[in-house]
Amino acid sequence: MSDELDTRVKLAIYSVIAETGAVPTSAETAREVDLDEGEVRASFARLHAKRLLVPEPGDPSRIRMAPPFSGVPTAFPVDAQGKRYYANCVWDAFGIAAALRADAVSAAADGHTGEPLTLEVKNGRPMPLPYVAHFAVPAARWWDDIIFT
Amino acid sequence: MLLFRSEETVSRWCEARDLPRRPLISLDQLWQLAVAWYANRLTVESRRPGPNEMVEVFASIGLTGPFWDPYA
Repeated sequence: MSDELDTRVKLAIYSVIAETGAVPTSAETAREVDLDEGEVRASFARLHAKRLLVPEPGDPSRIRMAPPFSGVPTAFPVDAQGKRYYANCVWDAFGIAAALRADAVSAAADGHTGEPLTLEVKNGRPMPLPYVAHFAVPAARWWDDIIFT
Repeated sequence: MLLFRSEETVSRWCEARDLPRRPLISLDQLWQLAVAWYANRLTVESRRPGPNEMVEVFASIGLTGPFWDPYA
């Protein structure tokens, strides 16, 4: 039963994000799915346990990450479908284009120098560029501190 | 996970933080990871790949070894 509810909540979250670019709060999500806000917060916690979203630390009413989307502005803005989204990392910047199945442009930057580096996805492919991505931690530890990763 | 212009700026970033240099990923590899993880994220069928699927996806684009092993 909670699986079905969690699916409804998850789809509502992503639907709002795709349509508006903003990650909904528990109250906004509750209105979308016609549920009590407490039930939605419990669902947020279950979705977190399944590693499908990350609540804002210290505030269970807000979502920090609904991967690939970020609930807060980041260094990886993504413009697609006439809206501004924020990705959690460079993988997620491409992930937003993949999730929306849309062309996208991300005004990113070199992680060390801050030099602007623009990424673009067009017709389901990234524009060929010689840039590289780097993970600070190995795959087995990504969720130890997913906000850092 | 961060983006860099080149291997050289990755090395400088790691040195400045006294962190080890990890394997680098090309934008083509990164796009394939993004599609594997997120192409169905807005659909009913969406779910995060499990550890065995992660290993398969990584291997399919040439990412092998302990760094990419979710069980390591």
